[in-house]
Amino acid sequence: MQFGIFSVGDVTPDPTTGRTPTERERIKAMVAIALKAEEVGLDVFATGEHHNPPFVPSSPTTMLGYIAARTERLVLSTSTTLITTNDPVKIAEDFAMLQQLADGRVDLMMGRGNTGPVYPWFGKDIRQGINLAIENYALLHRLWREEVVDWEGRFRTPLQGFTSTPRPLDGVPPFVWHGSIRSPEIAEQAAYYGDGFFHNNIFWPADHTKRMIELYRNRWAHYGHGAPEQAIVGLGGQVFMRKNSQDAVREFRPYFDNAPVYGHGPSLEDFTAQTPLTVGSPQQVIEKTLSFRDYAGDYQRQLFLMDHAGLPLKTVLEQLDILGEEVVPVLREEFAKNRPANVPDAPTHASLLAARDQDGTTENSEEEVSTV
Amino acid sequence: MTKLVVVSAGLSVPSSTRLLGDRLAAATAAHTGAEVRVIEVRDLAVEVAHNLTSGFPGPALAAALDAVTEADGLIVVTPVFSASYSGLFKSFFDVLGARDQDALAGKPVLIAATGGTARHSLVLDHALRPLFAYLRAVVVPTGVYAASEDWGAEGLPERVERAAGELAALLPTAAGRPDAALPPEAAGRPGAERPGAAERPAPPAARRAEPDGFTVVPFEEQLAALRG
Repeated sequence: MQFGIFSVGDVTPDPTTGRTPTERERIKAMVAIALKAEEVGLDVFATGEHHNPPFVPSSPTTMLGYIAARTERLVLSTSTTLITTNDPVKIAEDFAMLQQLADGRVDLMMGRGNTGPVYPWFGKDIRQGINLAIENYALLHRLWREEVVDWEGRFRTPLQGFTSTPRPLDGVPPFVWHGSIRSPEIAEQAAYYGDGFFHNNIFWPADHTKRMIELYRNRWAHYGHGAPEQAIVGLGGQVFMRKNSQDAVREFRPYFDNAPVYGHGPSLEDFTAQTPLTVGSPQQVIEKTLSFRDYAGDYQRQLFLMDHAGLPLKTVLEQLDILGEEVVPVLREEFAKNRPANVPDAPTHASLLAARDQDGTTENSEEEVSTV
Repeated sequence: MTKLVVVSAGLSVPSSTRLLGDRLAAATAAHTGAEVRVIEVRDLAVEVAHNLTSGFPGPALAAALDAVTEADGLIVVTPVFSASYSGLFKSFFDVLGARDQDALAGKPVLIAATGGTARHSLVLDHALRPLFAYLRAVVVPTGVYAASEDWGAEGLPERVERAAGELAALLPTAAGRPDAALPPEAAGRPGAERPGAAERPAPPAARRAEPDGFTVVPFEEQLAALRG
């Protein structure tokens, strides 16, 4: 099982000091956080993609390429890559380039984005959000699997005799996750392709997450990729820890109360009772995270949101120390217990390459299905 | 059993808004034997506000939204504030629609309002009716407005009875179709003799194929639709 962190990349004032970091400080902080993630033994760093203030990460592969050069093991990912408003051709090129540079330590998560004006800013219609996700990904999927692509669709200029370069490393495309919180169409899309499904459950009650993941697992089996429990599931999480839980609550409360997403809403106590947010001791974080398995089944990737709501870099790095030293080792051990042998790990470049070589060179029949 | 839900957005206790809701529910239940559940939005005010900021309902609000979504028919009653429905009343339906935009699609709804004077009675037709039309509910022709003076005047019971009869005509009965068991004195209601009344759109629950509550369009169909 993989453990990692995902960052929204928000520039938010620290509510305890009123100070707002500069964009440069925030960008460098994201890099420092990623490097720390590797240092403390985490597996994945994922960055969001945004095209409006107060967010900095508009150019994920630039940032991930820089991090790739300064890390050895860390898998670099996104949370999410906007499959609706980005040109799928550019996604194919950018992430293949990143994958080559990072020696395969790259996957990505597709998302539609939730900022309305981004669609018109990039010349798209938000009412076509689902359709853009479907058509654009169908094209991206082909660009990484077919040398020469002839293509015609509704949302993009046609391609005749186009080859996306560089080709994916070893001819193996980066693994793709599809992130969606409430759209069954996206769970269906992930299931159809045999891709991963990431449910960012951090603001959602467990029963909703459970229903979305069950849908994905059942449809995954329907499309013949394996048993429902073999589908590739990722979940979010959000934690703040101190040795004594009262200290954690006291220190985090002003950040919670003023957080951009849920601040000035429910109480910290209600929110922790109703969502995956855990504010307390490392042991409480371990117990809460292990409980995700009760409704999501055995899953493959756990990403934590650690650096938002104006938390200072120093605090975030301390949190990552605790996460890496006291929480994740226990989670690895506990999640491994009673894990059925047929439940796979999250795909990596190495595992996908091995699987490809084992199967000979046959890709599955999806190519024909997705040919226009 | 037929499920009738009253959404009452009165703020005082006791509340004339609730009183009107109860009168309408009793009159409707007398026709249909429906099981009545009353939702006092006042009791959910904090959870409604939190839902607006957090994006998801707390447990009590979630139960209320489920009850509304699963109801066979609705009676909605709001006090008039500043020439319209109350903000709390609107917010309740805002969070309902954000959670499930089809929650009220095809659902029979009786609209009602209370106010200090009769001068606001058109609130039913300039505020409530468009709101529920937007939510794709089937709004019965008669809305009921009760001003303070109406509680001591003639006419309100007749309007309650007419509106309740119209709503009852759209509710499923034990015989499996709307109106089958209604007494003849309830005639004059639209839908009572209308052949199409039994063919109104199925409630959302009937359209959902997957046991987990999601509607799934197979992926090939989605792709094919884009290529068509």
